Amino acid sequence: MSEATLERGIKALKEQIDAPVASFFSSCVHCGMCAEACLFYTETGNPKYTPISKVEPMRRLWEQEFTLIGRIKKLLGLSKKITDEELSEWQELVYNSCSMCGRCTMVCPVGNDITYMIRKFREGMSAAGHAPEGLIGATTRAIQIGSPMGVKFPALKAQAGHVEKEVGFEIPFDKVGAEYMLLMSSMEIMNYPEYLGAVARIFHQAGKSWTISSEAFEATNSGIQIGTSDLARELVNRIVEAAEKLKVKTVISPECGHAYTAIRWEGPNLVGHPFSFRVRHILEVLDEFRKDGLLRTEGFEEDKMTFHDPCQLVRRGGVIEQPRNLLNMVAKNFVEMDDHGKMNWCCGAGGGVSANEDAHELKLTAFKRKKAQLDELHVDTLVTACANCRIQLEEGLEVNDMDIPVVGLTEMLAEHLVETDSKQG
Amino acid sequence: MTGTANDSEFRKQLDDLSLAQQRAVGARFVHSVKDLTDDARIDVAIKVAQDSEANNDEIHSAFKSARSAVLDCYTRCGADADWATQASYFVARAASDVVMPEKEISNNNPAWQAAMHSRMARTCAVIDTDTTEEQQETEQQHRILDHFLND
Ligand code: SF4
Ligand code: SF4
Repeated sequence: MSEATLERGIKALKEQIDAPVASFFSSCVHCGMCAEACLFYTETGNPKYTPISKVEPMRRLWEQEFTLIGRIKKLLGLSKKITDEELSEWQELVYNSCSMCGRCTMVCPVGNDITYMIRKFREGMSAAGHAPEGLIGATTRAIQIGSPMGVKFPALKAQAGHVEKEVGFEIPFDKVGAEYMLLMSSMEIMNYPEYLGAVARIFHQAGKSWTISSEAFEATNSGIQIGTSDLARELVNRIVEAAEKLKVKTVISPECGHAYTAIRWEGPNLVGHPFSFRVRHILEVLDEFRKDGLLRTEGFEEDKMTFHDPCQLVRRGGVIEQPRNLLNMVAKNFVEMDDHGKMNWCCGAGGGVSANEDAHELKLTAFKRKKAQLDELHVDTLVTACANCRIQLEEGLEVNDMDIPVVGLTEMLAEHLVETDSKQG
Repeated sequence: MTGTANDSEFRKQLDDLSLAQQRAVGARFVHSVKDLTDDARIDVAIKVAQDSEANNDEIHSAFKSARSAVLDCYTRCGADADWATQASYFVARAASDVVMPEKEISNNNPAWQAAMHSRMARTCAVIDTDTTEEQQETEQQHRILDHFLND
């Protein structure tokens, strides 16, 4: 990399040091509590994976540019310059070893939002040309094709065709005036089409109108994962336009953790105005149906089961009670993991880690934390509500020779719906 | 016996079969899309599902290896969709359906599940083309069931 490119990169990083980031750096008391909260550190024991060391180059930059002592040192030539090699080295730390799970933020005694700092660091790193190939590819496809996995509308239509055969009625596309607009993740379209069938059956029973937009069906926001607000904004805008065009009241984020954060919590800030519709995670919607008596189930699962809370749902969105209310409708023998809910441990693959092939080994090492939680419980079934968590859990269990099936909560509920005339449509 | 005319009749006929029969006919559906994969674990699942003498351990072990075939070819979040690999993912899922241990089956009919996943496999294989192969797979499954019922 040329000197000029490095300078541009450092400038991009400097631009990310806003007031919150600066105050976080100045208030850190080096207590190390965040380290013990991060599964990439606890499962490897490697100090380079502590949350605060993941943002070290940014801290040095802050010190050199924004503190008196740092500026003096810089003038005297005593400060250590940030090099391109260093940024390359930090690429692994900021992308491979952070799932943006937010657990470190929860424990910091001085209230530092370390996850926000990492997000800002990613923003600078991607502008500086230090983002992983996998995430660059996913983001490019998301912008060009509409899906990070290159799933085009005909592929969704084809999967929907099979689902229609399964459920016995039509999957509604582009219905103006429907109450709900369903977003999906490419992961669900490609790997778990049964999710769509489950939603269709539940909405059919509830008698609610819903639709999928052919122009914006994808919920995954790779712009957020790679840390590029412009691209994240563009992806949110597509959903906003589709929802406004179809005049829906509620947009439903799928069983995907970070998609929910992207559209619900970051979305309005990214586009710069409130939405004209509500955004809810599918589990929030299903819990509303439950409260309104629109979700009617029968029978119970006898298996001992537990629930893996997707980080973005519990920590960012506070969606803690809803999955438990829903589970209680169909599970007799439900047990909680230690540290469930708000302090749940990440599966190890969120925040773009799974999209990043270089992180494959590390994410399976991080899974050891989930394994330890499960080893204590001896459950027969693991339930979750995020397609990305699900595949990581399935893979982690397989690698560790643990014979525990993983099921999606929405699908499990659909299995227990009171039979209506749904087969006739 | 008259031929299976449509999918609801097809499904009803599958529902009327015993579990062992559902596994056996499901295995034939999987066999019909075997050209979409070269994974030997699929052959094992087909063989075990068709063996009316297979014991629980054999079924469980065939299921485990079919599941690992599934995990070997799913598409990672954010990876560029490779529909040929995705076709083998659905073949593996169909194979795992027919050897799923009884306690995991719940309300699902393994033969119907295998039929659906086999169709999805065929769809993936032709997703970027304009062919009717997927419809042909459905008709093929109807014929397979007719033969099975008449065997
Ligand atoms: S957000 Fe999660 S993975 Fe990232 S540093 Fe914090 S605790 Fe570790
Ligand atoms: S927990 Fe907060 S104060 Fe303690 S080391 Fe981490 S960032 Fe610093």
